[in-house]
Amino acid sequence: MGSQKRIAKELAELVESPPDGILVKLADESNLYLWKVYMEGPEGSPYHNGKFLLNLSLPTEYPFKPPTVSFKTKIYHPNVTNDDKGSMCLGMLRADEWKPSSRIHAVLEFARQLLAEPMPDDAIEGRIAEQYKNDRKRYDEVAKEWTRKYAVESS
Amino acid sequence: MSLSDIPWNQFGPINHFPTRQHLTSGLYPQHPHSPAFIDPGFSQISGTFYPPGQHSYFNMNALSTDEMETFQKLSNEFQANVQGPAVSTRQSSGAIAVEYANADPTFVTKTSALAVTHPLSRTMKGDGNCGWRAVAFGYFESLLGLQNLMQVHHELVRIKSLNVLLDQTGQQEHLYEIFVDATEGVFNQISEAIQNGIQDETFLVNAFNDEYNSNAIITHFRLLTSAWMKLNPHRYQAFLSLPLDQYCATRIDTVRTEIDEVGLQALVDGVIEASGFAVEIMYLDRSEGEVVTPHLLTPSRLSAATICLLYRPGHYDLLYPAEPTVNMEPVVNYQYAMTSNYSPWDQGSLAFDVNTSLMSIPNLMMDPSFGMAPSPMPAAPPSPYSVSPPLEVYHSPMHASPPPMSLASPPPPPRISAPPPPMSSLPPRSSDGPQIRLNPLVMKNNLCHSLPVTTPFKNSPYNQAHFQNQDFEPIHWEPSDSRR
Repeated sequence: MGSQKRIAKELAELVESPPDGILVKLADESNLYLWKVYMEGPEGSPYHNGKFLLNLSLPTEYPFKPPTVSFKTKIYHPNVTNDDKGSMCLGMLRADEWKPSSRIHAVLEFARQLLAEPMPDDAIEGRIAEQYKNDRKRYDEVAKEWTRKYAVESS
Repeated sequence: MSLSDIPWNQFGPINHFPTRQHLTSGLYPQHPHSPAFIDPGFSQISGTFYPPGQHSYFNMNALSTDEMETFQKLSNEFQANVQGPAVSTRQSSGAIAVEYANADPTFVTKTSALAVTHPLSRTMKGDGNCGWRAVAFGYFESLLGLQNLMQVHHELVRIKSLNVLLDQTGQQEHLYEIFVDATEGVFNQISEAIQNGIQDETFLVNAFNDEYNSNAIITHFRLLTSAWMKLNPHRYQAFLSLPLDQYCATRIDTVRTEIDEVGLQALVDGVIEASGFAVEIMYLDRSEGEVVTPHLLTPSRLSAATICLLYRPGHYDLLYPAEPTVNMEPVVNYQYAMTSNYSPWDQGSLAFDVNTSLMSIPNLMMDPSFGMAPSPMPAAPPSPYSVSPPLEVYHSPMHASPPPMSLASPPPPPRISAPPPPMSSLPPRSSDGPQIRLNPLVMKNNLCHSLPVTTPFKNSPYNQAHFQNQDFEPIHWEPSDSRR
């Protein structure tokens, strides 16, 4: 099937030359459709020094439907649901904006860019978005605290 | 889909929508593919927000943030629940006339005439891809119909060579190759069918009803169109309301965005035209006239096959004319001389490029910044000849005088003495009966007055031949009738 062929090629490309601060691997070697993504918090953001685990799941209809991305590591962010799902759905990840010619590489860069620059006008967590817009200092504090608490390995 | 994209009327209770009785006041009749009409799935969603019986319009301010978020989520996940196959089998166009039987009289007249000129049609699922699917399917079906193995091979090579366009616009092969593979698969199926003497297109219908296959082929055609537009921006930018790159990203490269006139023209220009096939649209709308308005998207030329689209606002289907449209004399587009066996005039000598096909689309406004009069396009488009006078030497050697530039001077209508056939479709031909061969020209524009389609009161329920009449009695056509 075509979609597996493409996913395999995209994975090979990502393993060979990963984007900045991102590492990917299959969650289970026998399943091409579920990936684990390790993402470093970008410099200059309150997520810096944090290492976030994300799940990237590809629908069987890929590339005609977008991948779904969710944060397994708890994160304080206006565009990530503040629950155990940690789901993120905006921009190119929306079914109606998704382009079959987009690659997973771009999805991952988009997700990391979102850590550097949240999109409060397209927020899923309205309260965090309000705070991001009106009280950036407090938002930074909480986001940093959560990063320390959940995203830094205690070694 | 974001909240703001939803037409407001979708939030109203379903009862607020005009019922069929009101449709004659000018709205388009409800048909199953129209995205503008409320889908049952959506009314269930709105049902969770409205207690039954409460007939108030949706008020954004009355909702809390939580409710707004829930609403946004529902709207994001909303998918129109469109029924039916992606591509149907061929069916009688009489069904279209029945669908519009209670609609505006213009529709009744036009659909009745359509059932005679184009007795068969094929519906496309209205899932946002109908226009793309209609052209792609029509292309492959035409190729199968010609039963020419060499041509299939030639077309496969040509379509694959268009990968160059994708490479030139920065698409990566490992991302697009699976789409090309799917298209190639259909070419191979057609070759195989021709080798085995199969003319029946059922295998094509099946291929287009396979979700992966269909998506892949349509995506392939979308990507080629997008690349073609990016490589020929001067032909299309003036007709777009947003920058071309953005247009491609939001309207062409996506998965389920309906094709518009500009995109369709680009698809035909970039992907279909070099096949030599003609692409024609029949516009079914409330414009004046008694027949659908034809519009040719390809240059006027002899073509082995014609892909004929039926356009209703927001939806495309395929049509099949009563007679093969081989060598159909072009009537609408006179941008070029009647034949094009000579090399085209040098467009590079102009300060800008002129997309003659787009310029001739009825009502497609030109951008004032294009540098020409920003008036709506008349039926007869401004001739590019006026821009480049030397062009006039290129009149067709086959025509002593220039082709008529307006529709006002058609050749005299042929006399047809046959009695009116039944409204819904032509009767099946029997080998011993007389065969009426209508010249395709008869179907065009004001020549239609000679068509034996509408006799007085034909569309009135007071006529016994109208199916709504209490004593409804269909007109029976007898082969001997025409001998009188």
